[in-house]
Amino acid sequence: MRYLRMFRAFASTEFQFEMEYRGNFYLSILEMFLVIGTSIAAVLVMFQHTTTMNGWTLPQMILLLGVYYLIQGGVNLVFSPSFERVMEHVRAGTLDFHLLKPVNTQFLVSTRHLRVVRAADLVLGLVVVIVGLLQVGEQIGVAQSLLFALSLFFGVMLVYSLLLGLVTLSFWFVRVENLLAIFWAFTEAGRFPVDVYPLWLRVSLSTIVPIGIAVTAPANAIAGRMDWIGVVLLGAGTVVAVGVASALWRRGLRSYTGASA
Amino acid sequence: MIRIYRQLLIAQIQAAAQYRIQAVLWMLFSIIRPVIFLAAWTAVSNAQGGSVGGYTTSDFAAYYIALTIVGQLTTAWNSFEFEFEVRQGRLSPKLLRPLHPLHYAVVENLIWKATTFLPLLVVCALVAVTFHVEWHGEWWHLVLFVPSILLAAALAFMIAWVIATATFWLQRINTINTLLQRTGFMFAGQIAPLALVPTWMQVISYSLPFAYFLAVPAEILRGGVTLERGLLYLVGQAVWLGLAVVAFRFAWRAGLREFSAVGA
Repeated sequence: MRYLRMFRAFASTEFQFEMEYRGNFYLSILEMFLVIGTSIAAVLVMFQHTTTMNGWTLPQMILLLGVYYLIQGGVNLVFSPSFERVMEHVRAGTLDFHLLKPVNTQFLVSTRHLRVVRAADLVLGLVVVIVGLLQVGEQIGVAQSLLFALSLFFGVMLVYSLLLGLVTLSFWFVRVENLLAIFWAFTEAGRFPVDVYPLWLRVSLSTIVPIGIAVTAPANAIAGRMDWIGVVLLGAGTVVAVGVASALWRRGLRSYTGASA
Repeated sequence: MIRIYRQLLIAQIQAAAQYRIQAVLWMLFSIIRPVIFLAAWTAVSNAQGGSVGGYTTSDFAAYYIALTIVGQLTTAWNSFEFEFEVRQGRLSPKLLRPLHPLHYAVVENLIWKATTFLPLLVVCALVAVTFHVEWHGEWWHLVLFVPSILLAAALAFMIAWVIATATFWLQRINTINTLLQRTGFMFAGQIAPLALVPTWMQVISYSLPFAYFLAVPAEILRGGVTLERGLLYLVGQAVWLGLAVVAFRFAWRAGLREFSAVGA
């Protein structure tokens, strides 16, 4: 509860910051319309030549694209702006200020900074998901929706734990922007279902950069191709990943030598 | 001029040598998207029994590998960098030098392309093997590719500079950059070979510069055009390059008068 309240405080300060540059704020939203619109157009062009792609129909593909922007929006809204600051703090030695505060440090560094405008991506992604759902046309049952929500949550947490792990590396290597750049380059692959890729890329997308799983699993859940066993496995994998990442983070903190330490 | 360029070349090679890993990483961005769309089209093609609109599965591979190479050789990031320089006030000292800032960018651009080309070919070879590529070109396709890629690289570079000059008036040009990138995504042949997109999109691609800096050299390198068609494309490229150069000179001169950075 206390953490929720703190998160609300973070969000409102960041919102005030962002509103200082109102023009920029609206333009960013406009850009997102462009990005999502052209991505959908790309899928439409492809489906002029086929009715199915590896068993995925057009509505299912739209749905998948929506999930992709939903996850990207979520990560870009909270985690990536926060983590960017962490790397700066580690380099400059100013992480001390975070460490001194009487809260869980991992929570603080993961959520302190928000890029509020990215909430628009979440909304747009959700709209695309709904449009896809309407097109799929079948009745979506309670079980399916639950599977969808769960696998979406697990997917985001998988991506989160990978990012946390990468950021933790900055305790030892100081400059890890390059590793993050690789991650961002790979996320682009999430716009198509992970099963269209050749084996080496599929393996790296599901294990090294879990974006493939994070995007494909929820879309699969809605399409009725995901059962409870799948979700349980995904959940177990996520718990392990988050556990490993936060253990690594605590390990990293111990080797942190701040400006005053 | 040649002597100046030689000096610039030496200085820039030394500067670039400090950021070797970064240079190779940037390459990843130009590779990953073509591979993604190649994989998607391969899936479509397989669903359609091995060919779509005259493109076989291995034709798609050839096209997207060609596109990767062309994309690499036509990269220009000046519209991003220039904005940064203007905002930070770093343009002013450059303007005082007797050489136009454009020349520094030319050298920087060439060096990046030269140093990342070999690693790129290695990755392309890997992709070629995984996707069973087949090349059906003639020798003159390769000859035609040389002027085509030079024109394409120059065109992309000049477009980036025309966009960059918008900074003089607008200060922040993120939105214009995104607009250019996404229209390029739609119309330059990234989402599909242009022969497979709807006619209205083809019209836009070929009448605006989009096709000429990416799709055209890629189709030529793939060996997918007739000789007459190829020569016609070269004319189109030359025309748009000419227009871009004129537009840049005009915009630059007008923009400098607007320029009011710290110390200017």
